[in-house]
Amino acid sequence: MRWRLWLLMAPALALLLAIFAAPLLHYLWLSTQAQSVLTGLQPQPIGAQQWLRLWNDGRFWQDTWQTLRFSAASVSLEMLLGLAVALLLNQPLRGRGVLRTISLLPWALPTTVMALGWRWIFNDPYGPISRLLAGLELPAIPFLSNPALTWMATVGADTWKTTPFVALLLLAGLQTIPADLYEAAALEGATPWQTLRRITLPLLTPYLLIALLFRLAQALGVFDLIQVLTGGGPAGSTESLALYAYLNAMRFLDFGYSATLLLGSFAILLILCGAGAVIWRWSLRWQGGLR
Amino acid sequence: MARLLLLLWSLGPMLWQLYSSLKPSEALSGLGAGGWTLENYRQLLQGDPPFLTYLINSVVVGASSTALTLALAVPCAYALSRLGRRQARALTALVAAAAAFPAVLLFLALLELARDWHLANQLLALSLPYAGLCLPLAILLLQAAFADIPVELEEAALIEGMGLWQRLRWILLPLMAPAMASSALLVFLFSWNEYPIALTWLSRTELLTLAPAMARIAGSSVYTIPYGACAAATVLGSAPLILLMLLFQRQIISGLTQGAIKG
Repeated sequence: MRWRLWLLMAPALALLLAIFAAPLLHYLWLSTQAQSVLTGLQPQPIGAQQWLRLWNDGRFWQDTWQTLRFSAASVSLEMLLGLAVALLLNQPLRGRGVLRTISLLPWALPTTVMALGWRWIFNDPYGPISRLLAGLELPAIPFLSNPALTWMATVGADTWKTTPFVALLLLAGLQTIPADLYEAAALEGATPWQTLRRITLPLLTPYLLIALLFRLAQALGVFDLIQVLTGGGPAGSTESLALYAYLNAMRFLDFGYSATLLLGSFAILLILCGAGAVIWRWSLRWQGGLR
Repeated sequence: MARLLLLLWSLGPMLWQLYSSLKPSEALSGLGAGGWTLENYRQLLQGDPPFLTYLINSVVVGASSTALTLALAVPCAYALSRLGRRQARALTALVAAAAAFPAVLLFLALLELARDWHLANQLLALSLPYAGLCLPLAILLLQAAFADIPVELEEAALIEGMGLWQRLRWILLPLMAPAMASSALLVFLFSWNEYPIALTWLSRTELLTLAPAMARIAGSSVYTIPYGACAAATVLGSAPLILLMLLFQRQIISGLTQGAIKG
């Protein structure tokens, strides 16, 4: 009986290993090889040189900083806005179902499609924002040509697309909170802020953590949006780690270094998740100590 | 008030695309007022290849990926839900980690896979990596649904002398229909939207799926981006998905929340 269960799982597990585990192991090997135009695209063992190159590569560190900046800004915005939208949709309002569906639409659109759309919206001088500003006789904002602004434009577009996902997860969480808790709080004369702080947020924590984990992992691998909206520009100021790895493989044909970059990004993701888990455990202990 | 803001935020950018797609390009670059026109759509539909090709390619890839994912995920989820608790929990944790993994990091290895096995430029072959990437979410979702079916039901069927296949076919799968619909829709959405792998596996223009086709339209002209045609493309590219969302929002929403929460 038992072996039959494993037999049923075998095809799916085999494909999962082939798609997730094998690539990572392959990268480990490839990151010790030189495989580029210089070697005739044939792999040649070179030890840890790719990793040394990564360590000394200013562009890698700059892209790391840019990816982290993008992730921190967009994920925190999405969590805040997502919570606000979820709280709004959790109220017994008229037309709630329709509103929920409409607010989820941005999430369902292909990223390349919506990135192209945002490129047109941010267009200077013909996009709607520029036209609006010109109509109000305000100076234009060069969203896609000023490095200080462009990364914010990418954050804005990402927030537009993924806030609905966070909101939906949190809404599902809100609906698991029993209504009598709120009734009791109202009887005690709790203010809305106290209710949010003492009832809603603590009970919502598991959902907040899941949303945070999912969004952080996806944001650290941001690729589609950046490639279509800005192409990594202006002057590389929005280039993400995934885009750099992509360019190394597809444009510079340097596969060894591309694999090293991909593993580097994965390591950053692991470090962040590990640090998050440690901080989470500490904060639990600290709270426990207070009580 | 807050509701109005949310509506404006969600729909505003899309309405702007719709508006732009119906205006002649002179009007968009401020050279003239210009009335309404379908010229952008005509240009797109008569392009080489016509835009419809990309949509059809996306439907083909989406359908085959969905079928393959379900074929693999249903037996796996069933077995997981019947496995001992300790083993099942360890496997589920791994599957959940894979579900959150940023797929773009895998593109290089998958590209080499396509080269070594001659899978590049074959639409149906694309469903292999897509199924692999969607399996984690589908397994989590279906496993939760299998776990909700009382074991007594299956034991009764066992006493009736039904084999494993018969139990699956006649007892379990009918009860699984909602969860299967949810996972199918999510897989379809994923493969419709997937970009990095499609970008590296497909190079022949007439085989492109929607996502890389859109990027190619954007990058086709360096100096002036044909914004009218682009806007028309975004409208045509989003329309099927918006329709899907409106028709099946219940299944999609429940799939999204169930999959993430139980996992």
